[in-house]
Amino acid sequence: MSELLPVFLDVTSYVLILVLVALGLMIVFGMMGVINMAHGELFMIGAFVMVAAQGAGLPFLAGLVLAPLVVGFLGLLIETALIRHIYHRPLDTILATWGLSIALKQLIVLSFGPESQSVTLPLDGTLTLGAFSYPLYRLVLMAVSAVLIGGTFWLFIRTDFGLMARAVIARPTTAATLGIDTRRMYRWSFVIGTALAGLAGALVAPIISVDPQMGLGYLVPGFLSILVGGAGALAGVLVGGAVVGGVGNLLAVWISPVAALITVYILAILIIRLKPEGILGGRRAK
Amino acid sequence: MRNSLIALLIFAALAAAPPVIGGYWTGQLTGYLVYGLLAISLSLVWGYGGILCFGQAMFFGIGGYIMAVITKGMVLPDITSSYLGLIAAMAGAALFALALGYFLFAGRGISGAYLAIITLAIALVLERLMNNWYGLGGYNGLLNVPPIKLTFFGASFELWDRVPTFYAILIVVAVIFFGTTALLNSAYGLRLTACRTHPDRLASLGYSVLNIRLSVFSLSAAIAGLAGALFVTLDGFASPTLIGFTLSTEALIWVAIGGKEMLLAAFLGAILTRTAESWLSEIFGDYWILILGIAFMISVVLLPKGLLATPLEKLTEGKRR
Repeated sequence: MSELLPVFLDVTSYVLILVLVALGLMIVFGMMGVINMAHGELFMIGAFVMVAAQGAGLPFLAGLVLAPLVVGFLGLLIETALIRHIYHRPLDTILATWGLSIALKQLIVLSFGPESQSVTLPLDGTLTLGAFSYPLYRLVLMAVSAVLIGGTFWLFIRTDFGLMARAVIARPTTAATLGIDTRRMYRWSFVIGTALAGLAGALVAPIISVDPQMGLGYLVPGFLSILVGGAGALAGVLVGGAVVGGVGNLLAVWISPVAALITVYILAILIIRLKPEGILGGRRAK
Repeated sequence: MRNSLIALLIFAALAAAPPVIGGYWTGQLTGYLVYGLLAISLSLVWGYGGILCFGQAMFFGIGGYIMAVITKGMVLPDITSSYLGLIAAMAGAALFALALGYFLFAGRGISGAYLAIITLAIALVLERLMNNWYGLGGYNGLLNVPPIKLTFFGASFELWDRVPTFYAILIVVAVIFFGTTALLNSAYGLRLTACRTHPDRLASLGYSVLNIRLSVFSLSAAIAGLAGALFVTLDGFASPTLIGFTLSTEALIWVAIGGKEMLLAAFLGAILTRTAESWLSEIFGDYWILILGIAFMISVVLLPKGLLATPLEKLTEGKRR
């Protein structure tokens, strides 16, 4: 048991980060039908904001505040300059945001170089309970991610903004007739989604390798999580993230990481094919 | 038929190119022709068939590996015929596409964004698989793939030199291009358009939408497989990068920049993007990729039909009036 607990905690922390990334994707996909292929790069830029902040001698917390602000602002720019013009062509958003992701990746390569960067741990202690010990920062990371996920759910389920957002998701034209400014809702949802990605990137920066190519490693599992869980309800992301992130990481304990990754992708593809509305059910893609 | 007149002119210009551009660029252009063939296959399945495949390189890679395995004599040491390799590469890629297509499109099927993500994930899986399949060279791939050996009536000729290789490949590409164009101008092309735009109406007229989708998916895979098989003979090796995600997305960019709904534009998109890449990446260095990404974005937003297809269509329509 004491050997399994750290594994379980590692898996949980990965799942929580994956859910955080997927949640941003989901808000954008569920609400606007926009597939944002640059989401992984926004996550990556969040991590690089942390790298830059530490390079400038700022404390970890400052990086944590700056990352969502910088990436959220970037999201605002992207929505205004790019996404806004292609809402009515959902498939083209895949291509346009793919172009964007190439450009963003190269921008980071040009400013930071292609090699991986390191971020120092803000807390290097370990929590020891008897025979069990675990890095303290990972526990904090899990708690913060869980709070953020909870906060996002609260925002979309309990607030007026969330009510309007869900109205726009369910019946865009009716919502617009009732006086909801759908354009504004789209814009702010996009900004929230991107800011979440930036924050997730900054949060995991100390425990993973931060390099310009890291986005794809979260983008594809993120999308698979959404589709596996079901693109209808927000809670689908939790289920999908647990299946995709959890199964893959647990399998990696027993079989090679590559075999685990292949298995989990194939499993996800099978689930999506056999149950396109996702495990939780709900609406199919437009 | 203005369209095919322009296509003929372009192929004539390509045929006249080697003496003008010299040996090095002829070698480069041969590779670009093969990429152009991949672009043709993607344009067929995406622009005409309406199937957005984010992993077109998987068929290219399958074709490449089959060709390498056969011509290296890894299957049967005595039978290393290039012809057999090419045929097996096309058949293998087409069969894989048929099975995959049946899995993806049968019944309720999946389409649109879901299909894009799933094909992307499959390409990633295959790339990982090839990276770790040590019987097929793993990460390093298969080295020393022999060049194409042409045999007619007992005489045989190996394509080692740049110029004969160029013309052999140009002929193959031209045959595929004009063949596909003829097919698209036939009743099949009409069914394909109907299948893309109004699948429900087509089904109500008694056609099987599934069969049409499977046929175009497999046909395009066969062309991509042929391109992959030709490619490994040029470079002499087959590696996991041929099958994966990067080449797939590069092909998408060529086709989108060129124009997915026009075979000629997609073909030229690949050739011109690659040519521009080898020139401009020397001038702009690392900024080239940034420029390419931005150009791709702009062309998707402002010219959804493609950067080359728009003027090409103007050209053909202008003369008709």
